[in-house]
Amino acid sequence: MEILLRAEKLRKDSILNEVSFEMAQGEMLAVMGPSGSGKSTLLYQVAGMDVPSGGQVWLKDTEITGLTEDERARLRLRRMGFVFQQMNMMANLNILDNILLPAIQANKGRYKQSKGQLKEKARELMKKLSISNLENRRITQVSGGQLQRACIVRSMINSPEILFADEPSGALNKSAAEEVMKELGMLNREGMAILMVTHDSRVASSCDRILYLLDGRILGELKLGKPEAGTEKCREEKVNLWLMEMGW
Amino acid sequence: MIKNLIWNDIKQNKLLSAATVFFMTISAMLLALTVLLASSLLGAIDSLMENARVPDFMQMHTGELEVSEISRFAQSREEIKEWQICRFLNFDNSQLTLGGISLADSTQDNGLCTQGEGFDYLMDMENKVPGVLPGQVYVPVCYRSQYHLSVGDTMEIGDYRLLIAGFLRDAQMNSMMASSKRFLVHPKDYEGIKAYGDGRGIAQEEYLIEFLVVDGADTGVLGTAYAGEGLPANGPAVTRPLIRMMNALSDGTMIFVIFLLSIVVLLISMLCIRFMLLLKMERDRKEVGMLKALGVGKKEIRILYFAKYALFSGLGAAFGLLMASLQKAALEKQLKEAYGAGPGGLSSAALAVLAVLLVEGILLLSIRRALKKMEKLSALEALLAPQEERPSRGIFSSVGAGIRKTSRRQYFVIGLVALACTLLMLVPQNLYSTMSAPEFVTYMGIGDGEIRMDVRQTEGIDSATEQIALALKQDTQVRQYAVLRTKSCPVVLEDGTTINLTVETGDHNIFPVSCLEGRLPGKQGEIALSSMNAEELGLTVGDTLKLMVDGKPVAHTVCGIYSDITNGGKTAKAYDLYDGGPSVWSVVYVSLEESAGKEAWMEGYRKKGVDVTDIADYVKDTYGQTLQQLGLASKVSATISVLVIFMVVMLFMRLIVEKNRYRVSLYKALGFTGLDIKRSYFLEGLLPVAGGIVLGLLLGNLLGESLCGVALKAFGADSFRFVIDWGQVLVLIPAALSGAAIPAILAGIAEIGNIKAYECCVGRE
Repeated sequence: MEILLRAEKLRKDSILNEVSFEMAQGEMLAVMGPSGSGKSTLLYQVAGMDVPSGGQVWLKDTEITGLTEDERARLRLRRMGFVFQQMNMMANLNILDNILLPAIQANKGRYKQSKGQLKEKARELMKKLSISNLENRRITQVSGGQLQRACIVRSMINSPEILFADEPSGALNKSAAEEVMKELGMLNREGMAILMVTHDSRVASSCDRILYLLDGRILGELKLGKPEAGTEKCREEKVNLWLMEMGW
Repeated sequence: MIKNLIWNDIKQNKLLSAATVFFMTISAMLLALTVLLASSLLGAIDSLMENARVPDFMQMHTGELEVSEISRFAQSREEIKEWQICRFLNFDNSQLTLGGISLADSTQDNGLCTQGEGFDYLMDMENKVPGVLPGQVYVPVCYRSQYHLSVGDTMEIGDYRLLIAGFLRDAQMNSMMASSKRFLVHPKDYEGIKAYGDGRGIAQEEYLIEFLVVDGADTGVLGTAYAGEGLPANGPAVTRPLIRMMNALSDGTMIFVIFLLSIVVLLISMLCIRFMLLLKMERDRKEVGMLKALGVGKKEIRILYFAKYALFSGLGAAFGLLMASLQKAALEKQLKEAYGAGPGGLSSAALAVLAVLLVEGILLLSIRRALKKMEKLSALEALLAPQEERPSRGIFSSVGAGIRKTSRRQYFVIGLVALACTLLMLVPQNLYSTMSAPEFVTYMGIGDGEIRMDVRQTEGIDSATEQIALALKQDTQVRQYAVLRTKSCPVVLEDGTTINLTVETGDHNIFPVSCLEGRLPGKQGEIALSSMNAEELGLTVGDTLKLMVDGKPVAHTVCGIYSDITNGGKTAKAYDLYDGGPSVWSVVYVSLEESAGKEAWMEGYRKKGVDVTDIADYVKDTYGQTLQQLGLASKVSATISVLVIFMVVMLFMRLIVEKNRYRVSLYKALGFTGLDIKRSYFLEGLLPVAGGIVLGLLLGNLLGESLCGVALKAFGADSFRFVIDWGQVLVLIPAALSGAAIPAILAGIAEIGNIKAYECCVGRE
């Protein structure tokens, strides 16, 4: 498999200590670890939202750590997608406009797609994630699960190469969390690479691989492979056992 | 999308949006108004001066006149393009009535003249040279409203009756600060009335010796050459720039105050808009972080924010221009009456638009600078920042216990704005009360007397003055008096040239004028100079000046410098100069034992043919125009101050409540009532308002003096002390500001009632 993302000896102050890992095209990778272990910090460094103190990050042949702030912003806009725990959206825009915001931004000056085409694409994605009926709603008029699905649609609007998710189900109730994970799983099956930070072993068990982080170092790795129907419970147990081994 | 974003943001933040547009509008309006009024005034003055062909240099003269001397001088000077001598028949005011009202109380020198032959035209209300017929008179426009005159009324000069055919604008003497006023009559009437006045000794003919010079010629050099030749110079001399300045000053006070107001309001607006923006950015931190994380560039995020302010700015500019145009019509009424409509039109409108763009540009620049803060913020910092401020210390520590730490900056802004509003109300008010106070004349070169008697138009000025002095000595109602004789005295300068100095002699310490430096002369050999003369001659206290006394140069020590606007501002005061030479005019200052009978006492002397003036009336006449404008500007200033303090206090109290929403909710959850919390916030809001007002009053009364000193220097008053109307200062101004601030605090904290106790538990979107 072709390597999509590569981190080499990443350091960030005293939080990350020479973290190295690779991620393949179409892989779904979870990063777990106790609070303060550096999971979110690792995600921010590899996603180009922060500058590490040392080490390198590559997205295919682009060295993210060597880019300027503006270049990193353009990279995030066109080649990456983000889903946050807090479903951050612009309060003054409706759901459709929020989804379109990065699309319009990415299409500026290039005239690749008209606004109509972008809207069409947004609507298709919304339909896929079953939120077609929400396009004119304000963000305060939808449920947490619906909002997070809208965030996923927004993250997909520019057809990114990789999707970063920071505790995507952390602020949701159980059924909403399951729905969101179902959508993410579906996207991964369609070929989207996903790097996810999570506390939830159930969520992590739906990933291909899990990295366990402690005190800024990768302590262990669990390869699960692509999930198959009916193996969910078994995978979850496997993950829980492994986590116990790691001292979770 | 930006349209939706802006529209929804405005809908969600109506108060902040309205306040921003308000500040942008009011700042734009004030500067546009200043520009519109200034360009209207200056344009009208220039247009009038151009049409009237105002002389570049004019020397007034009373007494014998040898025309051939002037002609010879004019021919010898290459810079003189045209010259003429206008006659001015100065009448005793008691002989004049306008529309049935006597001019006996007028402090102006009123006289008749005919239309200038080649230049110095008196213009009608269409700014055209009027053709006056026999039996008709054109009256200075400043008298139209003062004496409620209209065309068809009559003017009486003794037994002579003239029909008022119209009103005139006198480009030279329009300003009430110019002490003479010219009435235009037909040459036939002029001769007839002159013969009538001469026969009864109630008129004296004066001469206006006028010159037009070629472009670029120095009128100062011409003036010195004129004086150096010993030509007739028994009276003040004025130049074209001085005439322009007097015109501009008497009607420009209001514009100057509005200009100062516009600067202060612009600063307040910058402060408030910037502050509101910073608060908004604080609230939107997470959204900004999200945009940055998604990869939206700094520039694009700035545009998202900036677009809204650009829209507000456009609205502010449009409303500001509209309001300025509406206000202009009301405020320029007096200017139009005095000078007519200037060329104005497109250039004036273009200047106003430029002014508005300048204001909005400054505001947008300050917004752009504030937005830079957001640019520096990384996606991560913005995402991880806490959205709402929570109490950092024990929650019981702060209800009703002093200023909340989290809102200190907002309270500071409230205090600062209260201070600025107090200054805005106080300084124009103090300026008004100072200029309308009787003692203000002492800064203008007029003695601190109660009554002034002028002896000017008679042949034997000295003997008439002696008679008056004798009468006053025997008058039991008179407490004290001082006789001051003015003589025209040649002065030998260091380079050997000679100029004529107008020197007032007598005991100046009985009714003193205020000195900028040194003191008034107390003995022979001392001389005090007006600041304009001191500056022109390059002399200061302690220097010496050689005056030609009885044909010999006698050294006089400069003992003091005083400010003066009378007689062109170039005067001198000596104790007892010399005996030779008749007085050009004399003035007698009087104070009475009891002021109660002042009117009757003055009337008694008027009947004896003495020109008597109540100094309070003199000030009213001279500065009435200016005071009226200052009063108007003071009202505009007070209205704006009240509006600004109301808006700022309401807005900031609302923001403080919003910022402390979590805290308020927590108090409610703990059992505090809405009223308890409101009381605490009310007191906290009131404290900076009260502090700002008190500090404003202190600063306004102290610093305001030096600030206004700069403005008043232009009026000839170089140094002065505020004459404070304590009733206004201590009662009315604080009452007006508090009257606006208290309802504003109450309106601002009303939201406390809507905050629910459970909000602190569930958090907020």
